[in-house]
Amino acid sequence: MEFIQEGFSQAYALLISRDPATYSAVIATLRASGLAMAASLLLGIPFGYVLGYFNFPLKKQIRIIVDTLLSLPTVFIGLVIYALLTRNGPFGGSGLLFTITGIAIGQAVLSLPIIISLTATAVEAADHNLRTTLMSLGANRRQIAASTLWEVRLGIIAAAVTATGRVLTEVGISLMVGGNIKWHTRTITTAIALETNKGEFGMGIALGLVLLLIALAVNVSLAGLRRRI
Amino acid sequence: MNYRKAAGNIFLKVVVSMTVLGAGFLFSGQPVPAAEGSETILMATTTSTDNTGLLDYLMPSFTARTGIDIRWVATGTGKALKLGENCDVDVLLVHAPASEKSFIGRGFGVGRRKIMYNDFVIIGPASDPAAIKGKRVFEALQAIASSDNFFVSRGDNSGTNKKERTLWRLADIQLPEQESWYRQSGQGMLTTINIAAELKGYTLTDRGTYIKYESAAALVPDLVVLVEGEPVLLNQYSVIPVNPRHCPEIKYDMARVLSDWLAGDEAQSMIREFKLLGKQLFIPNAGQE
Amino acid sequence: MDIYQIRDVDHYYGDKQVLSIEDLSIPEGSITGLAGPNGSGKSTLLKLMAFLERPTYGAILFNDKKVAPFSKEVRSRVTLLNQEPYLMHRSVFENVAYGLKVRKKSTRLINRVEQALNLVGLTEPDFARRKWYQLSGGEAQRVALAARLALRPRVLLLDEPTASVDMESAGLIRDASLQARRKWGTTLVVATHDWQWLYETCDTGLHLLHGRIFKGGLGCAVSGPWRFGEGDMLLKELEGDQVLVVPKPDEGKNVAVLDPAKLKVVMPGDDPQLNTDNRMLNGFVTRLFLERNGKTVQVAIKVAELLVTLRMASSKAEEFKLYPAAAVRIIYDPREIEWF
Repeated sequence: MEFIQEGFSQAYALLISRDPATYSAVIATLRASGLAMAASLLLGIPFGYVLGYFNFPLKKQIRIIVDTLLSLPTVFIGLVIYALLTRNGPFGGSGLLFTITGIAIGQAVLSLPIIISLTATAVEAADHNLRTTLMSLGANRRQIAASTLWEVRLGIIAAAVTATGRVLTEVGISLMVGGNIKWHTRTITTAIALETNKGEFGMGIALGLVLLLIALAVNVSLAGLRRRI
Repeated sequence: MNYRKAAGNIFLKVVVSMTVLGAGFLFSGQPVPAAEGSETILMATTTSTDNTGLLDYLMPSFTARTGIDIRWVATGTGKALKLGENCDVDVLLVHAPASEKSFIGRGFGVGRRKIMYNDFVIIGPASDPAAIKGKRVFEALQAIASSDNFFVSRGDNSGTNKKERTLWRLADIQLPEQESWYRQSGQGMLTTINIAAELKGYTLTDRGTYIKYESAAALVPDLVVLVEGEPVLLNQYSVIPVNPRHCPEIKYDMARVLSDWLAGDEAQSMIREFKLLGKQLFIPNAGQE
Repeated sequence: MDIYQIRDVDHYYGDKQVLSIEDLSIPEGSITGLAGPNGSGKSTLLKLMAFLERPTYGAILFNDKKVAPFSKEVRSRVTLLNQEPYLMHRSVFENVAYGLKVRKKSTRLINRVEQALNLVGLTEPDFARRKWYQLSGGEAQRVALAARLALRPRVLLLDEPTASVDMESAGLIRDASLQARRKWGTTLVVATHDWQWLYETCDTGLHLLHGRIFKGGLGCAVSGPWRFGEGDMLLKELEGDQVLVVPKPDEGKNVAVLDPAKLKVVMPGDDPQLNTDNRMLNGFVTRLFLERNGKTVQVAIKVAELLVTLRMASSKAEEFKLYPAAAVRIIYDPREIEWF
């Protein structure tokens, strides 16, 4: 059990000594999840909004599929993205295997159903009086749609928080698509897996604590955003 | 204020603030690692070379000597060979001679060269309930199979796992699978040793990982080396450039440069001098038969 | 001039008919009260008049023009205050300014918002900066009203504006609505249970029952259970062994309505010759109420568990010496009872 204590002191040492390998993993983690979140928010918010706001044929079926995709295992996503990006695969020419962008694509696939589903839920849960109120105050259809989106912003932030949590902590995609290449695609989670395999449990705990600190920073800034808007 | 602008602002505020947050992370200070240029090659290797620190020790010299930047994916031998077959890497450094030969036979690799070896040992509880200490490998395995003591296998198709299966076959024992004494961890070597220690069982390990286990276990390790030193336990590492006729886009020329350098005097003597916790781990044997 | 003309409107939700209005006109600048039990169609009528929905059949003319939801004749001119007001998740200022902003009337925004808040009695400095979650129920309802008043609407439709607010807010909401009419000639239509609104403030009162406009709200509506009587008649057994006799209902109707114009009140012992078809019910006066015209009186008579309201000249009430608790008789002809 002493490796837990060791983990805390090592985490502290890693951070104050600005250990280059740790910083490289932190940057890789932030770049991959930042890209993944940007992509999945840009795609997921409009899609989730449409899914929650409008009625159209097959809406229920699409919703069930999206909700099912919430259960996608990360190693499975990793495997599928690998199969697509391998040189012999359909997108082999893109050169994205073992790159941060490759990891981000996989993580965006992980995050997208979360954003879509939670956005759609937030839009559906909006007060039924909202639409009549906006209409009654003279808003046209486009203004109603825009205002509804703004009214459910807290739900969308909650979706972003949930998805960020999953993306930051996943290991299956980073390992399979990124390859855990030191100084390049080694993220904090793949580093933890590696250190654990090497028997460096203390180091694994230390990296886990570093990841928690990042999650804390991300959530503090999102909470700040939530208060301001 | 114009409403259209306001509505635009609203949408932008939600989406862009998060995007900017993400983008902010992307470019937060740290230099972006050098983009993949023509001067970079990618190698697939086994966890044992990476976990012991050998590659971190060798490769800066290679880059300094040749100007070629090298990156590696450390994984099980099975997956490393698969990455080569799929043209995802330029060169392999692996230790599974039989699979390597079939890899070359199927036209995926070309110009395999021996680089170095280390050896496998059979370890077990110091009390040695199956009484295998000092026995020859095959007798030891038969003794374990006919006793009630656990044997923990990697079970992950890694080089070590392939070696273990070869040994069962050579010892004339049908490959165990669901026998009650046979446990497959499906995990890395060190985890597997720890599982064997918890179960008071036996396992086959490479010496490098055992040295790490021994040093981590402080004074008295639960598991000790019981069988060692036979030619059949040798663990040969070879370098194999991926066949450019199978994968026209890979960087075959640079893979050859790596292969030449690893087999050359500089790398060979560095390998000889490489020590883990004061013990030599790998014995260079390039050019020997 | 009539700002609204409603002709042969039938409105359905799914298969269920919720509104059926043959002919209704509302004069510009008037105050119309809408009364009726929950589910009688008041909210639906207001929604149709606000052009939030299109009637399933029929037409609603606004200023003699047929208009549809989102058409520019009514946008920002006709506005509805919901029963449960929805405040957007923004500051009070943004809520009140919303309608002006979407209309792109952004000059003197701060002034207009301040005026609107003053109208509903929210005069505290910095009140506009409060967030939506920092308001009491009454304040929220007043902010919602201010958001409508900021538009200076031609028509203000109010759905139970004072049903769930404190007394002070109720008074302020009423005063603000009346001021809108005084200042801008706004036409008001108010659905309410509030007796004061209906009888003291409104020019006309409309009573809805099962989606239909119902005889000025007087008389009495009776629902089952019914028992089969002689011939084609049905019987309702009332408390104290009295019986109400009604004709067989039309298809799909289930409430029998006593039309006050066809009821006759007599004093006990003063019995007229009963026509063979006429029937009689015994009751007593519970309430007398002088209407705004000063000439007619509403008389509420308790007959067993029913309350029958009818209108009579105040002189006649005086002649009968009616007073609350006075015993009276009601004469009716079963064949004149209608079904709703």
